[in-house]
Amino acid sequence: MAKIKLENVVKSFGAYQVVHGANLEIEDGEFTVFVGPSGCGKSTLLRMIAGLEDISAGTISIGGKVVNDTEPSDRGIAMVFQSYALYPHMTVRRNLSFGLEMNGNSKADTARRVALAANILQINELMDRRPAQLSGGQRQRVAIGRAIVREPQVFLFDEPLSNLDAELRVQMRVEISKLHKQLGTTMIYVTHDQTEAMTLADKIVVLRAGHIEQVGAPLDLYDDPANQFVAGFVGSPKMNFLKADVVEKTPDGAVVALSSDRKVRFAFPLSTEISEGASVTLGIRPEHFAPPGEGDADLTVAVEVAEHLGNTSYVHASLAGETVVIEQPESRHRGDRRHLTVGVPVGRLFLFDQTGNRLR
Amino acid sequence: MLSRNRAAYAFLAPYLLIFVTFWLWPIINSLLISFQNTRVNPWRFSLSANWGRLFGDPAFYNALYNTLIILVIQVPVMIALATVMAVLLNSPLLKARPLYRFAFFAPVVVGEVAYAAVFRLMFSADFGIINKLITSVGLSPVSWFDNANAAMALVIIAITWRWAGYNAIILLAGLQSIPDDVYEAATLDRVSKFQQFVHITLPLLKPIISFCVVLSVIGTMQLFTEPFLITNRGGPGGGTETLGLLLYRQGFTSLNFGYASAIAYTIAGLAVAISLLNLMLGGEKK
Ligand SMILES: Nc1ncnc2c1ncn2[C@@H]1O[C@H](COP(=O)(O)OP(=O)(O)OP(=O)(O)O)[C@@H](O)[C@H]1O
Ligand SMILES: [Mg+2]
Repeated sequence: MAKIKLENVVKSFGAYQVVHGANLEIEDGEFTVFVGPSGCGKSTLLRMIAGLEDISAGTISIGGKVVNDTEPSDRGIAMVFQSYALYPHMTVRRNLSFGLEMNGNSKADTARRVALAANILQINELMDRRPAQLSGGQRQRVAIGRAIVREPQVFLFDEPLSNLDAELRVQMRVEISKLHKQLGTTMIYVTHDQTEAMTLADKIVVLRAGHIEQVGAPLDLYDDPANQFVAGFVGSPKMNFLKADVVEKTPDGAVVALSSDRKVRFAFPLSTEISEGASVTLGIRPEHFAPPGEGDADLTVAVEVAEHLGNTSYVHASLAGETVVIEQPESRHRGDRRHLTVGVPVGRLFLFDQTGNRLR
Repeated sequence: MLSRNRAAYAFLAPYLLIFVTFWLWPIINSLLISFQNTRVNPWRFSLSANWGRLFGDPAFYNALYNTLIILVIQVPVMIALATVMAVLLNSPLLKARPLYRFAFFAPVVVGEVAYAAVFRLMFSADFGIINKLITSVGLSPVSWFDNANAAMALVIIAITWRWAGYNAIILLAGLQSIPDDVYEAATLDRVSKFQQFVHITLPLLKPIISFCVVLSVIGTMQLFTEPFLITNRGGPGGGTETLGLLLYRQGFTSLNFGYASAIAYTIAGLAVAISLLNLMLGGEKK
């Protein structure tokens, strides 16, 4: 059990800086997910916590102890790799017991821990097989098993499910969630899949290009994103972004008109100063449109494609060149329509300035 | 269809002709010759002239003994050395890796005669640098070319120098195919570098080590260049005569081609037998 703290952590590979002063606190027993697009430094951050990469500047502490110069094996962590990294020439049983054996752990205790892990992960029938004789999902279980037998204070997962097919991914996701409940250990999980992040996390850390963009509970990020990047990253399908301009300043905010249709206007209460004529971006999630007439303004879009998923439909439409995705109640029987009018409730709109910062 | 095949065979014909004349035919013919007494004119079929003689010939047993001694000492030493070299070459701490890779591989490319001449100079009893070094640490000089044991050692040192780098490069390719994260996982499991080498690197490298051993066994069974050029045609007094040299002496010095052919088949048979044994011993236990 351990709390993890990152203070101004920097990582450079030669002259190339990839993590720029990360500050983060992870509570004991918390399930934290690092999420962000490819190359944003998720793995690098995780590997620094593991001790597989050294820290260029700043400090990392685990359980209140600074571990910058602590050997990886002394940090009380266990890691599950994306590629599983099983020992290919050893049976599953030996894969689990190898580390303990090499450290002179007693035979009885090793056997107990291996049996426990095998039970938790239901891999008892696989114990005498080699990794090559296992399916992807089974290998993943073994890799998790190898982490469990170490009885670590912190589990680190680096995209553990990305090599699995969609169905198995959902299944393993649920199992990892159960595992966290069962063990109650601090876990850090790296993924670029926002659904995984939303479903697993107690706390999500959104990264972009080596910067921590926002830290928060999944629904806090969904309801209250700090900037346009987080807003676009969290939620599926993505939030729609529409260009707009400030057309009028009011005592408590501003009136904003869509660039593509200047008749569509919204009055925002704002505490920040904004000049008239400034370009801004309006954000609205596909699921937050209202029936026509029920919002603060109506929007008419040209339908391009409608995806009918059975319980719901996604209408892909265009509005003077900008793409808009609108979630509709199941609508396949309504026939094809060229145009769709929806209501936009101003309470569901997010306003961003030109650099992507949230205006509120 | 048929005419197309005919055209294909026509294009292949020059190669096939050369293959049959200089490869297939000698193999078959030497087997036939090995059953003939080639010391009489015309040659006559005789089982005892060559195969019978072989099993009672002290020169054959001497050559066999020398060859096997070199094999038993040189192959394991060289493969062990090559493995260590490969691991060092694979170290992320190493700078200028391509340079080392080339340096290790270079001995194979150097002309045999040139390399033999340099070894003869270096190991020369009176003014060779090796004896200078030996005497400088207070030991008595070794007469590398006059003492049979020293001459054997010299041959072993020379072959090892020539082929260790070559095997190291093959092993390096094997090492590079082991993913880094397996070692990272082991590091997190608190498995020491040495334990990683013994329990992860060696087992995963085993098929490649086996391959190198087989190559080396075949090479050593045919050993000719070093004892011929460095230790004066298997000297002193047959002290480094190998099967390859004996074959050469019988075939091209005494012109006894029947006996030389019998020796050639013995060399090939032994090489196959030892390689199979190695593959069986090193094979995967399922
Ligand atoms: N050993 C290295 N040397 C130089 N640059 C590196 C090294 N490892 C990673 N990088 C760079 O650091 C940045 C972050 O890499 P990292 O692997 O942490 O990304 P990631 O967020 O895990 O991406 P992905 O989702 O694709 O795994 C990338 O731009 C990458 O090119
Ligand atoms: Mg990564």
